[in-house]
Amino acid sequence: MGTTFKLALIVWVLGLTIGGLIGSLGAKWKFIIGFPSKIFSFVLSGVPILVFLFWLHYPLQALLGVVIDPFVTAAATLTIINIFAVADVIRGVLLDFPSQYIIAGRVCGMTSAQILVHIQLPIVLRQTVPVLLMIQVNMLQATLFASLISVNEIFRVAQQINAQIYKPVEIYTALGLVFLAVCLPLNGLALWLKMKFTRDYSEK
Amino acid sequence: MAENEIYARLFREMTQDKLMLEGRKLIRTVGTRKIIDNVDLELLPGEISVIIGPSGSGKTTLLKLLAMLEPPDSGTIVVNEREYTFPSDKKIPPPWPLITVVFQQLFLWPHLTLFQNIKLPLTLRSGWKPGLERRKNQQESVNAAHSVQDNSADASEQRRLEDLIELFDMGNFVHRYPNESSVGQRQRAALVRALVLQPEYLLLDEITSALDVEQISIILSYLKRLSKKGIGILIITHLLNFAREAADKVIFMDAGQIIESGGREVLDSPAHERVKKFLSVIESAS
Repeated sequence: MGTTFKLALIVWVLGLTIGGLIGSLGAKWKFIIGFPSKIFSFVLSGVPILVFLFWLHYPLQALLGVVIDPFVTAAATLTIINIFAVADVIRGVLLDFPSQYIIAGRVCGMTSAQILVHIQLPIVLRQTVPVLLMIQVNMLQATLFASLISVNEIFRVAQQINAQIYKPVEIYTALGLVFLAVCLPLNGLALWLKMKFTRDYSEK
Repeated sequence: MAENEIYARLFREMTQDKLMLEGRKLIRTVGTRKIIDNVDLELLPGEISVIIGPSGSGKTTLLKLLAMLEPPDSGTIVVNEREYTFPSDKKIPPPWPLITVVFQQLFLWPHLTLFQNIKLPLTLRSGWKPGLERRKNQQESVNAAHSVQDNSADASEQRRLEDLIELFDMGNFVHRYPNESSVGQRQRAALVRALVLQPEYLLLDEITSALDVEQISIILSYLKRLSKKGIGILIITHLLNFAREAADKVIFMDAGQIIESGGREVLDSPAHERVKKFLSVIESAS
């Protein structure tokens, strides 16, 4: 349980911060950062998480002649996926941001910082927070894949217990309930934020 | 001579010709097409200038150049005593909200109510927090506004805001979001957002297009009051009667050039054939 949340926490924190940074910079420098990041994200989206995880765990380490702790490999794999998923969302919203709202702020005498804080960020956050929350829930669920490269996370522990006492219904139901208990509130929060803040802005 | 024109002259004499918003030999090209072609225009304090002309004649682009929202390819813009020559490599200090613009598309911020749209720039400028919150009716809010600290700048800004909301009859809808309001209500909010900042030059792009006759009349009388206070106002409009009532100076634009300019006689007895033709089409359509 602890390993799973430790893994999820690393993936969330690094994914959101680095992804947010790459997304913001990608919107500002479209060709230097935005375009490569988009290409990488596009390719990554075509590779199953499990294949990517295995590739980083076995072939890459064999090629480099190194042995890395499976926990680190799992954290790196999921973090990379999270970074580019987050960057994609942030970059898309920033690029689509209507420039007229910024112009309106400028002619009202607002500084760039004031426009960022009072106009751009509130609108961008309203659009991105629910989507980002959903991505983080998916990342939490994806931590289960770490068990396949011997990371002692919750699913692997469940498998080990089941091997000893053979009560699959009870054990895997309990596992499902644990995930439900964590993911449902997060999904609910995303839904609530979406309903509350991402109203239809279109004018009549 | 129109009353406003006298005020404009007086201001000009008092300030020794130094205060004005002026564009000299402005050129703006998009691709190979000249959107603005060597235009000279001046807007004096206390003067209402009205620009008319067909769609695509460059009226809005000219307004954006004068507000320095877009740089001209070449030419000079003078804001009071400060001169900006283009093209320029220097970073130009923005003239806003000394010059403020109300756009045809209004550009109200969608995540804020109309009231929040109006108060945000004011709050950020002065650090002042307007006391108006959701109230049952407008009179309550006006009374409350008048009861706050009388001698402070805050009180005067609060009163100005309340007075404008009352004047434009916005009490019933000021706490709605832009997408919950009609076009006319949004137009009034955008206008009040600009007016409350007390600009010296107010540039208005088709702000009366969705207003009823009563609202247009209110805006007209308010603009005249503003011009008497020395504010230079430039209006783009297709409403000839509004132009006749408001204008000290009428400017007709076509194909990026000023074809004819002068007093209200431009509307009543234009000299140029293109203007005559345009006015006759407008008159017959209305």
